[in-house]
Amino acid sequence: MRHVPENASLNDVTVVLDDRPILRGISLELARGLTLLRGTNGAGKTTLLRAFAGLVPLARGRRSVPGGPPLYIGHRPMLLRGLTARENLSFLAAFRGAIASDVADTLRKWGLGDEMDRPIERLSAGQRRRASLARIETEQMPLILLDEPFADLDTDALVRLRAALNTALVRGQSVLMATHMHHELDQDAVNRYVIDDGALRET
Amino acid sequence: MNAFERALLVAARELAAERRHPDGFVAALTFTGLLVLMESLAFGPGQARQPGVASALFWIAILFAATLIATRSFDRELEDDAIDAILVLDGGREALYAGKVVAIAIVLAIVALAAGALSLVLLDLEVALAGHLVLIGVLGILALAPVIVLATLLALRVRARVALVPILSFPILIPQLVACTQGAAAALTGDAAVALGWTGILAAFALVYGVLGLTIVPAAIE
Repeated sequence: MRHVPENASLNDVTVVLDDRPILRGISLELARGLTLLRGTNGAGKTTLLRAFAGLVPLARGRRSVPGGPPLYIGHRPMLLRGLTARENLSFLAAFRGAIASDVADTLRKWGLGDEMDRPIERLSAGQRRRASLARIETEQMPLILLDEPFADLDTDALVRLRAALNTALVRGQSVLMATHMHHELDQDAVNRYVIDDGALRET
Repeated sequence: MNAFERALLVAARELAAERRHPDGFVAALTFTGLLVLMESLAFGPGQARQPGVASALFWIAILFAATLIATRSFDRELEDDAIDAILVLDGGREALYAGKVVAIAIVLAIVALAAGALSLVLLDLEVALAGHLVLIGVLGILALAPVIVLATLLALRVRARVALVPILSFPILIPQLVACTQGAAAALTGDAAVALGWTGILAAFALVYGVLGLTIVPAAIE
């Protein structure tokens, strides 16, 4: 009988971009909890996250994400300019069928009470980052993919992010995080991986 | 939430963004307005008033306006990678396509209305069948928008997409352009049977390209 993983997984995944292999035959099943991903710049961390998110074509292998599409938050805010933070998050929550009425409360918790109704392009980089990360709480997906989530955050936002992550982990959500700040999170992680030149190894 | 509701959600998001920053709308409106003005000056009042000439130039202007609106709309999606937040979602690609078609058709309809009114005034056109002309306008826009949006999606990651979108889409749109021009000319001159004939063809084009787009868009975006 074929093994059907109940957790999100990549099975023998190869990704080739611009004729260059970025991921080479990666197999990874994510356990519930926090999984940390390290690697030097250009090692393939972002591509691995995007492979889980279904945002890059797989040259080989299979991707499985049970429980609905993951929440992927990349380097950039992924919010539409011209809309406010509240409108952006409400749209994304509504699309997933989540309860959009929580959006305003969540944005207040992230320190955006006065800024949530301003167009997103008028916010600072850090505020846009906060709005983007607030999706962890407004969408509450079983799998959360975070690419360097600590970038651009001040101390208050770091505390808020840690709290949001703790809540997600208590709920049993899986979090795969690419970060250079792994030392601070090592104790919370259930698994740690290093990616090097498109190949993955557990540490 | 079903596929139809998701598409409407994307359309509402698009219209809200366009309302706050109407870059594409203003560019398209300016372009079509100037083209109508230049046409009236270049051809002279006698020739420009001919239904065939006036209709052809109007629809060529609308075609370029559609390109401007669509490319600006997707430029906005690419800023800050906003598009990725939708592409991740189940049914996101189809909703993005359908929602953009609806929203761009609405914006284009407003541009067409303004350009049409300007044409009527500047060229002193007489409209024999106003209802037929409106029908041709609506169906023409619905026949153009799916192809333009599909071409913009295909050229999404290409830096020169402003040039590539017309190159990809205009050859496909020649039959629609002919139908729009002939139908509008017939409505201006009062030939109801011919005008209705072209509306049927435009409706078929809108349906075929709308469905075709929905079918190939998931693979096309990848």
